[in-house]
Amino acid sequence: MAINSFAGKRYLVVDDFADMRATVRSMLHSLGIPAVDQARDGAGAIALIEETRYDVVLCDYNLGRGKDGQQVLEEARQRKLLGIDSIFIMITADNTREMVMAAVEYEPDNYLSKPFTKDLLRTRLLRLIERKADLAPVNAALHGGDQGRAIELLDGLIAARPRNLADLLKLKAEICITAGRYDAAAAIYAEALAARDVAWAQFGRGKLLFLTKAYAQAAEVFQALIERNKELVSAYDWLARAQLALNLPAVAEKTLVAAAELSPRAVQRQQLLGDLALNNGNAPLAESAFGRAVQLGKFSVFNHPSLYAGLAKSKTANNKHDEALQAVAELSRTFANDPAAIFYEATATAAIRHNQGDSAGAAAATRQAERAMRVAGGQHAARMGVELARTLSQVGEKQQAAALLQSLVANNHDDEACLIEIARAYRDAGLDETPDAVITRIRRGVVDTNNRGVQLIRDGQLDAAIDLLQQAAAQVPGNRTVNLNAAKALLIRMERHGTAEDSLRQLRQYLDRVRQVAPGDQRLTTLQAQVQRLVLKSM
Amino acid sequence: MKFADILAQSIHDIKNSLGMILNNIDVLLADAPECIHDHQAARLLQHEAKRANNNLVQLLSLYKLDVQRLSVHIAEHSLAEFCEEIVAEHQAMCKALGVRLDIACDDYLVGYFDLDLVRGVVGSILGNAQRYAKTTVRLSADQLDAYLVIRVEDDGAGYPAGVMDLAETEQLGVEHGFSSGRTHLGLYFARQVARLHTSGERQGRVSLRNGRDLPGGCFELWLP
Repeated sequence: MAINSFAGKRYLVVDDFADMRATVRSMLHSLGIPAVDQARDGAGAIALIEETRYDVVLCDYNLGRGKDGQQVLEEARQRKLLGIDSIFIMITADNTREMVMAAVEYEPDNYLSKPFTKDLLRTRLLRLIERKADLAPVNAALHGGDQGRAIELLDGLIAARPRNLADLLKLKAEICITAGRYDAAAAIYAEALAARDVAWAQFGRGKLLFLTKAYAQAAEVFQALIERNKELVSAYDWLARAQLALNLPAVAEKTLVAAAELSPRAVQRQQLLGDLALNNGNAPLAESAFGRAVQLGKFSVFNHPSLYAGLAKSKTANNKHDEALQAVAELSRTFANDPAAIFYEATATAAIRHNQGDSAGAAAATRQAERAMRVAGGQHAARMGVELARTLSQVGEKQQAAALLQSLVANNHDDEACLIEIARAYRDAGLDETPDAVITRIRRGVVDTNNRGVQLIRDGQLDAAIDLLQQAAAQVPGNRTVNLNAAKALLIRMERHGTAEDSLRQLRQYLDRVRQVAPGDQRLTTLQAQVQRLVLKSM
Repeated sequence: MKFADILAQSIHDIKNSLGMILNNIDVLLADAPECIHDHQAARLLQHEAKRANNNLVQLLSLYKLDVQRLSVHIAEHSLAEFCEEIVAEHQAMCKALGVRLDIACDDYLVGYFDLDLVRGVVGSILGNAQRYAKTTVRLSADQLDAYLVIRVEDDGAGYPAGVMDLAETEQLGVEHGFSSGRTHLGLYFARQVARLHTSGERQGRVSLRNGRDLPGGCFELWLP
């Protein structure tokens, strides 16, 4: 590749030491890169990344006080400030290597350990630039929420069999999974595995098995990956999820303990471990995991009121009620004005009051949690619902807990990750009916109604379909599939018989509901585009 | 504070200073070649400074191993990319020494190892090989009996018998080295790094021989 591969790109160097910034800058300079931006800490880096679309970020892991390099990466990727076409290189010192490895969600494109030479930097950069070549349009499509277009663009690139073919296939498979095109993703992994047994394709296969509810097989795949590479921490995370889905919470806890030992600095991993340990009755472990999560969360984009609530609940379970109340106080200080904070404050307080024997206080806090959930709900309605159900069950309101969990099933009947959580809460609450029976019963009801509606649409009986689906959507307002189908029936009727003001208003209301609970749903994006076309045509 | 700790701290500082010197030579050679009259001499200077730097890095790793603070991070790596990086780092020096640097590696070969430690091992062995080679050094990687084998060969005079024995023993070879002016730290380090790579019952190892594909020395790092 010619030297000018480096040209025409924006570079950012982040390091708290001026010497190191100067060294990296002079290396880049000698590669023919004239302009390099610099930041001295994580907050400064984020501020620059918000302003400028960088192609290459070279970031030291250690940035003194405030965010570390991993937290800069997580925030930039989570907030979509850096796209899939940009390169993030983490610079590490030998004493930080174990700290940086294997985050839960976002990994840098590469690590460079200090000291490194100009030659090494050049070779690495060239390779990464080659890997990310031509991905800018794909990133733009993803950014606009158009996964179908992103896949088309990738197919165009893949057809030319470029040198970064494996990277493109891997990326395409991941986008297919997010878009719900499991068959296409499975085909990519199978083809790669037929050629040779590569870890990325095994990993993808494991994820797909999990997503298609083949939990035992998924666990086997991740276990095999771990046997091959003991340090592949993300495989432990997925193994634990599969074990949870298989209703083996104690085993999942052990798996996560192993993962957290290898890589203790991920907020989400500590949170999941704390949550598992708390519900498994291992309060001391829960307290240490949530303690770490709160500590690590301070400068992290994954900071959340639920971390503090988890810490408070673990502390009160360990009979440290005063410390638990302090954690609640810290929660409200940290997240002032956040509606979710009021909710989590209330559930944590209910647990503390209950453990202190103050049943009136516990009930009052529970009522407050119920009110706060109605305000904060939205995208996290299901997660909050499970938390509230656990609180209800803890303060002794078992029937209310059961009713809430059943309505959560009806509203999320096709969200497997959510159903696993609901089932676990149901089981932990010690209710009469088994969670599997409840889920099967409720799901069958929702699916039947929904399918009847879809059949009526197909038969052209649009008025009957709309009546049925409207009624269903009123019963399960949080259910995305029912809302989407109700919207679809309204759309088709308007396409055939002309737009009507009130139908349009109602259709938009259904779409709004879905946007609230699942803004990334591909069916939503498709429907929105169709509605737009309809409105334009009728103008 | 123990003497070993003081030593380690000093080595750390010297290593950083050397790193700065190396970067400056790099920048001088690239940006202001007209300031340097004898490029050959500058390259050799760079080569020696790099060797010293590598030695210090290895010493520090061995110190950390000794006080159990060395963390080994084994991950999947492409061997083609690994070789490409090694070559990029040594190409200029080989040119200056008038030695050709070959690589032979399947594009799809992957292995599980600690990238930095193994690069340190192979880099330092290759740094020696290019001094002993007459015309050619070859870096290659293969899969053999479920081991990954990374090989450095040259067409020089080959390893003397005393050194070949060293690969099999636990000795650092200091006594042998003091008289000959060489300590074989690179080999000792290679053996330690090999042993840190385990998979089930199997453990990494180092093997030395002469006259495999090229007539000179052949170093092999076997990783499970």
